[in-house]
Amino acid sequence: MIHLRRYATLVGFGLILLAFALALPDTFLTAQNLINISQQVSMLAVVAFAMTVVMAMGDFDLSVGAMASLAGVVAASLFAAGFSLPAGLLAGLGTGLLGGLFNGLLVARLGILPFVATLGTLTMFSGAAFMVSDGRTIFGDDIPEAFGAFARGGLPVGGLVLPSLSLLALAALLIVWVLLEHTSYGRRLYAIGGNMEAARLAGVPVRRLRASAFAVTGLGAAVAGLMYASRVASANPTQGDGLMLNAIAAVFLGMTMSEESEPRALATLAGVLMLAVLDNGLTQLAVDSYLRQFLVGAIILAAVASSRIGLSKG
Amino acid sequence: MLLSIRGLDKSFGGTPALSDVALDLRAGEVHALMGENGAGKSTLIRVLAGVSPADRMDARLDGAPLVLGSPADAARAGFRFVHQELNIVPTLSVAENIFLGRSLPRRLGAAVDWRRLNRMAGDALGRFGLSHIDPRQKAGRLGTGDRMLMRLASMLVSGDTEPRLFVMDEPTAALTHAESERLFAVIRDLRARGAAILYVSHRLDEVMALADRVTVLRDGRRVLTAAMAETGRAGIIRAMTGRDVTEAHPRRAAPARAGTVCRLEDVSAGRLSGLSFELGTGEILGVAGLENAGQSDLLHLLLGDGGRISGRAEVADAALPRSPSQAWGRGVAFVPRERRREGLMLGRSIVANTVLPHLGRLSVLGLARKRLETDESRRLAQALRLRHRTLAQPVRELSGGNQQKVVLARATLDAPKLLLLDEPTRGVDVGAREDIYATIRSLAAQGTGILLASTDLPELIGLSDRILILRDGRQVGLVATQGLDPEGLLSLIYGEARGAHE
Repeated sequence: MIHLRRYATLVGFGLILLAFALALPDTFLTAQNLINISQQVSMLAVVAFAMTVVMAMGDFDLSVGAMASLAGVVAASLFAAGFSLPAGLLAGLGTGLLGGLFNGLLVARLGILPFVATLGTLTMFSGAAFMVSDGRTIFGDDIPEAFGAFARGGLPVGGLVLPSLSLLALAALLIVWVLLEHTSYGRRLYAIGGNMEAARLAGVPVRRLRASAFAVTGLGAAVAGLMYASRVASANPTQGDGLMLNAIAAVFLGMTMSEESEPRALATLAGVLMLAVLDNGLTQLAVDSYLRQFLVGAIILAAVASSRIGLSKG
Repeated sequence: MLLSIRGLDKSFGGTPALSDVALDLRAGEVHALMGENGAGKSTLIRVLAGVSPADRMDARLDGAPLVLGSPADAARAGFRFVHQELNIVPTLSVAENIFLGRSLPRRLGAAVDWRRLNRMAGDALGRFGLSHIDPRQKAGRLGTGDRMLMRLASMLVSGDTEPRLFVMDEPTAALTHAESERLFAVIRDLRARGAAILYVSHRLDEVMALADRVTVLRDGRRVLTAAMAETGRAGIIRAMTGRDVTEAHPRRAAPARAGTVCRLEDVSAGRLSGLSFELGTGEILGVAGLENAGQSDLLHLLLGDGGRISGRAEVADAALPRSPSQAWGRGVAFVPRERRREGLMLGRSIVANTVLPHLGRLSVLGLARKRLETDESRRLAQALRLRHRTLAQPVRELSGGNQQKVVLARATLDAPKLLLLDEPTRGVDVGAREDIYATIRSLAAQGTGILLASTDLPELIGLSDRILILRDGRQVGLVATQGLDPEGLLSLIYGEARGAHE
């Protein structure tokens, strides 16, 4: 029964894949299309993996999308001001780390609910992104050639090219997976998620860990923001905004597949891929984009609801 | 006779909790219900409340047969319950809380008539002489005592049935002396109106001053019902502790004191004061007192979770730890009082729960060594005779006693210097209890200094070398257990003089 619940989402995913494969026999299950999907989804994947880190503690970060936008415009503004590529990248990543740490201090030190704290910083980061960029898109000659070239490049394997962005997302997955599953740090985060007071009394430095986990998530959001900017060779103050809801949805989808409904790195990957495949398949089937949005939301709810039904009975 | 119960049996999973219990309550009396922890008081209250119906019971209300199969039955019979944890809505006003769940007086059929509501609430409070509570203020701003009085006032106005019986479970546990006095006045008032009050408390002085009659339970049986005037303090204590349990706790040889693991000199912190004691290696120091007399506060203090102190404190050859994380790092281990709330991650595995404080030592460069974690957990599971299916199963699936063993396994994994135990056998069955005692003794034999807080007096006397006595957070005694019996210890806890609950 427990297994049925865990695999219900995966089975549903399999059926959706099958349906797309039958409906789009020539274009869906091709190597090139799958590679395209992996590239399209890479930014979302990085944010979702980063989100998994705070969600392991039972927390949330709503500010990741705004942070992705902010990191992108910070880097691009520095490029525009004549700074070097490494300087811009470091500044973007540093913004993510500091912004995340700020979230962490609000939550862990001041005890503000993560939902409220990160809702506040979402608005702050978004405002900061507009201030830094003056509300404009930074593009063209202001962006170094090598920055945009990164996203267009990749690793040739056989006749295909594995996109750099996909590889970067894979690296993020590996890092988060090791962090959560194979380090003491990750085990302590799950302990906090399991019972914060018990973890504290068992000697887990809860405040420090919570603050640092938010910093990790902020850094992940910044990485995604830079990937986005590289992909479109430009940066504007709203381009990362859509990432947050999808990232949380991906983690939730993943949780329906994991034991004890915990956020796990590999389960999040499955959630991300599910969202990506749905988007890609429905787009190819020329389903109206409004209807597409409606369907994706309904499918997420169906998955989560089916796992809850299993839980309450079991 | 208002309520008369005969032949009440109740068992949980084959273990009898109440056997052939009888209880008679008269209208217009305060009836004390006493007994040690686990004697069956809570079960009896739950039966009366209809929360867990009896297996067999002959109950009569005013001589007519009474069925208590659900909380609604109890409410219809006019039974009202006051628990320590009060159901109030802190963000609503006192008046709204008093009329919670009833329709509020309205104006033009829709808008709440606040003025009338407040006046009605004021009347309800006024019946108890509680004019100091403003019906308009938020209930959350009231002190614990006033919240309880507010609840009592609300019971008099709510429901269609006139309240006949008030059951109060440790109502004064969290009250100040003045608040308690006010509550007693209300109780006497209720009695004068003809209600029966079943009063559960560990505080003997309070009970003797307040109650007309007393019923004592021991091991799920009624051992005494008598008029308070005919029963002395000694009689009640004898009835409560009657069993001869010292055989279950073979006396240990006094430990050789090789060193000190903990030393306090005139320490005060929060509600704790006057703490002065030394705990030697291999020594078991019991901590005794009434419910909530500061036992948990003392253990939390030594765990670095107690805030600022005055006086000198030394733990494990260093200053008082500043945080639980620092304490564990120095070899201080802790078994909290509420294992589900403060101890366990119920959804996580036995291994994850066991190794949590020791992850640093069990890892290399931050990478967890799962094989080693499992091996260590298995070693402890065998030593503690943990009943489990697999070490990967979530602790939620274990029984209470086995969950407690997991918390104890966590605390003993690394042979701590100082072990802090807060009610380590609370809600634990007899078999598991023996395994836990064996572990505690073997740790002491290896040199661990142990602080054992327990309200189970035979357990405390059986395990401890010396016993520290707390009353309202103050250290009032430190006695050797040699030659001490539960009766003697209980009178030390209550204090010799009457009216010691100042």
